[in-house]
Amino acid sequence: MRQLPPYSLFLVLLAAACADRASDTGGGTMVVVHAGSGTSPMLPPLAVDNLGRAIVDNVYERLAEIGPELNSIGDRGFTPRLARSWEWAADSMSIAFAIDPRAQWHDGRPVRASDVRFTLRLLKDPKAATQYASLLENVDSISVRDSLTAVAWFRKRTPEQFYDVAHQVYVLPEHVLKDIPPDKLATSEAAMRPMGSGRFRLARFEPGVRVELVADTAHYRGRPKLDRVIFSFVADPGAAVTQVMSGQADFFENLPADVLQRIDTSGVARSLRYPGLQYGFMLMNQRDPKRLAVAHPIFGDRRVRQAISMALDRQAMVRNIFDTLGMLGSGPFSKALADTTIVLPLFDRARAAALLDSAGWRVGPDGIRSRAGRPLRFGVMVPTSSQARMRYAVLIQEQLKSVGAQADNESIDIRAYVDRLQSGRFDALLLALATDPARSGVRQSWGTAAFPPAGQNFARYSNRTVDALFDSAATTFDRSRMEQQYHRAYQMLVDDAPAVWLYDPLTVAGVHKRVRVEGMRPDGWYVGLADWWIPANERIDRDRIGLRPAQP
Amino acid sequence: MRRLVAVRLFHAVVVLFLVTTIAFFLLHFAPGDPFSFENPNIPGDVRDRMRAEFGYDRPLMEQYVRYMGSVASGNLGFSHLLRVPVTQALGTVLPRTLLLMGLALVISFALGIRLGVYEVRHWQKRRARASNGISLFIYSLPDFWLALMLLLTFAYWLPILPGGGMVDVVMHEYMGPGQAAWDRIKHLILPLTALVLIVTALIARYQRAALLEVLPSDFVRTARAKGVDERDIIGRHALRNALLPMITLAGLAFPALLGGAVFVEKVFSWPGMGLTLISAIGVRDYPLVVASVVVGAAMVVIGNLLADIAYGLADPRVRVR
Repeated sequence: MRQLPPYSLFLVLLAAACADRASDTGGGTMVVVHAGSGTSPMLPPLAVDNLGRAIVDNVYERLAEIGPELNSIGDRGFTPRLARSWEWAADSMSIAFAIDPRAQWHDGRPVRASDVRFTLRLLKDPKAATQYASLLENVDSISVRDSLTAVAWFRKRTPEQFYDVAHQVYVLPEHVLKDIPPDKLATSEAAMRPMGSGRFRLARFEPGVRVELVADTAHYRGRPKLDRVIFSFVADPGAAVTQVMSGQADFFENLPADVLQRIDTSGVARSLRYPGLQYGFMLMNQRDPKRLAVAHPIFGDRRVRQAISMALDRQAMVRNIFDTLGMLGSGPFSKALADTTIVLPLFDRARAAALLDSAGWRVGPDGIRSRAGRPLRFGVMVPTSSQARMRYAVLIQEQLKSVGAQADNESIDIRAYVDRLQSGRFDALLLALATDPARSGVRQSWGTAAFPPAGQNFARYSNRTVDALFDSAATTFDRSRMEQQYHRAYQMLVDDAPAVWLYDPLTVAGVHKRVRVEGMRPDGWYVGLADWWIPANERIDRDRIGLRPAQP
Repeated sequence: MRRLVAVRLFHAVVVLFLVTTIAFFLLHFAPGDPFSFENPNIPGDVRDRMRAEFGYDRPLMEQYVRYMGSVASGNLGFSHLLRVPVTQALGTVLPRTLLLMGLALVISFALGIRLGVYEVRHWQKRRARASNGISLFIYSLPDFWLALMLLLTFAYWLPILPGGGMVDVVMHEYMGPGQAAWDRIKHLILPLTALVLIVTALIARYQRAALLEVLPSDFVRTARAKGVDERDIIGRHALRNALLPMITLAGLAFPALLGGAVFVEKVFSWPGMGLTLISAIGVRDYPLVVASVVVGAAMVVIGNLLADIAYGLADPRVRVR
C-alpha cells in the first residue's frame, strides 16, 4: 500500500476548513418580521417606509456606496458599486462614472450609462412626484459618453456633489420603466415587482403576507451569503416578538425595551443594538397656528423658548423613559453626526423663571403665568403611535408646571398629527426626525427656504445668519473652515431654542442566535444584508432548502 | 319566498348605496389622507403631487361622483396599503377570513348547542354547574387577552404550535401534500381555538336559556305525560323549538365573519379581512376601507336574508304568515 505523504493530514484539514468556509458563505433563509400590513412602493424614487427602503437597498444599486464613517464630503470613503471607477473633470463641474461592464439587470440585460441618464430624468420629473427632485437640484444632467460611461454635470461645485449623484441615486432599468408614464409609476406593476441590479432579486410579493428576496447567484460582486430573505408581515408587535423568541422568525428590527431580557434569556434569540440617525425633540412653533404670517403669541419670543428649554430636566426624562436605550439629545443632529462641542441650555429652573419674568409673564394666583391677560398655556401634540413621546409629554407637562407654564397634551392619530405638522397648526409638538448623512441636509430642517411644503422646517424657524452660515459651509471646500461655519450655525440655532433637544433613541433588534449580522449602517440598516450569514453547522431546516424551486 | 328574496334584494341595493355614501364622506372628513405618511421627511409639495395623481386634491363632491361612477363600472380603485387593485385585495383577504370564521362558527354552534343541551339535561347537578361556570368564565375573559395567552402558552412556553401566519412562510411550499395540509391545520389551531372558546361559551348560554324557557311549555308536559324519555324530550321536542333564537343569532353572527375576527387576526397575524380593514383605516386607504364597509354591509343583508329563510323553514307559523 502506498503511504500518504506526511503533510496529507494538513491538506485534508485545510480542504475541510475551506469546504466549511465555502458552505458558510452561501446558504440560509432568514425570516424578518415586519410590524405592519403593507409597504410603500418598492421603487427607489417612491419608497417612503422602512420596508420599501430595505427592499430598495438590496434590489437596486447606487453608483457608489458611502463608507461606514458616513463621510459625504468629496468621494473619500466611497466604494465602487455600479460604477467601478470615476473621474473628476479638471474644473470639478462634472464626474465621469465608468459603469462596471459585468453589471446586469436581473433579466440578464446589461446595465448601461443610458440607464443612469434615464434615472436622473425620472427622479427630476415633477410628474413622478419623488422626494429626490429637490435633493438633486445641483445635478444638472447626465450625458452618455459611451455605453459604459455616464457623465454627471453639476450646476455648481459643492463639497457634497459626489454624494448627491453617487449616493442619492439608485440606478433604474430604462428598458423596464421607459414606457410607464411618470404619474402612473406609483400604481404600476413595476412599483411592486421591482427589478434592479442588486445582489438580491425580488422573488415574490404577496400583499399583506410577505415580500421574498432571493440571492442573485450570478451577481458580478459575488452572490449574497444568504439564499433568501423573507419579510413577513405581522400586525401586532407582541406577536412579532413571540415569533422571534420561538424561532419562527429570525429578525425583528424594533424590540420594545420591556422584552430585552426575555429575548436574551430565550435561548433562541439575542438582542442587538444598532445605530440610527434619529433624534427626538420638542418643537416650538414660531408662527401663530391660526395665522402663519404672524409670530406665535408665546413661542415668538426667544426668551420664552429658552426658558422652556431650561425648565426641563432632559437628563432625568431620558433615563425615565428610555433607561439605557436612549441618549441625551445633543442638538439638531443625531449622535452619529453630532458636533459634540455645542453648548446646550442647562437645566436651571430659577434662570428659566427669571427669563419668563423678564419677558413679562407673571405668576397668577393659580400658579400659571400670564401676560396681558393671556395665560402661558399651549398644546403639546404627540402621535398616539409613539409610546415614548406620549410619556415624554406627560413628564414635560409636569415639569413645566414648576415654572408656571401649562402644557396641554394633545395625543392624536398619526395621520392627523402629520397633517397638522405639515400645515403648521400646532403650538408645540414632539417630533423624531431621521437625518441623512449629508451635512448640508440640516438646511432642509432648519433653513428659511425649507418652510413647508418645500421642506421640513415645520416650526418655521428663521435666522438669516444661520442660513448664511449653513450656505457657506455647504459650499466651502476647506474642511476646517467648513467645520467652524457649521459649528457657529449650530450654536446660534441652539441658542435661539426653536426646540428642546430631548433624546437620541438606541434601536434594538431581536435576532435569531444563528444569524450573523454584518454592517448595519446608521442610514440603512439592511444595506449590508448580502453579507449577513449563517454558519453551516448552525443551520436549521429552512436554511437547507437552498435555492431550489418550490413544489409545483 | 321569491317575493321575499326580491324585496330583500331591492332593500340591499338601497342599503349598499347609503352605506357607500356614508362611509365615503365619513372617511374623507377624518383628518389625514393616504399621503399623510408617518415619515416626516417627505416634503409637503411631494405629498401634494401624489394627492393630485390620485385626484385627492379635487373637491369632495367631484371625488364622490367619480368614485361612484367607477364603482358602478366595477372598478373599486387602488389600495394604497396593499399596492394592488381593491378587487384583487378583497379577493385575496376575504377567503382567508371566511375560512377562519366559517370554521369557527360551525364548530362553535355545534359545540355550543350541545353544551347548552348538556347543561339543561343535568340541570342543578354539580357537573352542569361546573360547565356553566366554566363557560361564564371563558365568556367573561377579554378576547384579546385570551388570544395572547394562547399564543404565549403554545407558541412560546410550550412551543408546539406556530405563533402566527396561515402557513410556514418558508417551508410550506417545500412540503408534500400531507405535510402541507398538516401545516395549514397547525396554523389554524390557535386562532380557531381562541374564537371557538369565546363563541361557544356565548352560544351555550343562549341555548341553555332558550331551552329553559321552552321546557315548562304544554307540549313538553304532554310529552312527559305520554312517558317520552327525558333525553328525547330535550333533544327532540324542546330543542327544535329552542333553536329559533339560535337562527337569529346565526344571522347576526354571519356579518361577524368579517369584523369579528379582528383581534384574532391581529394577534395571530392572520392576513384576513378584519386585520386589513383596521390597517386600511390606519393609513386612510380610502378605496379599500369603503369597499370593505360595503362588503360588510352586504354580509349583514345576506345574513339577515338567510336567517329569515331559515326561520321560515324551522317554524311553519312564520311560513304561513
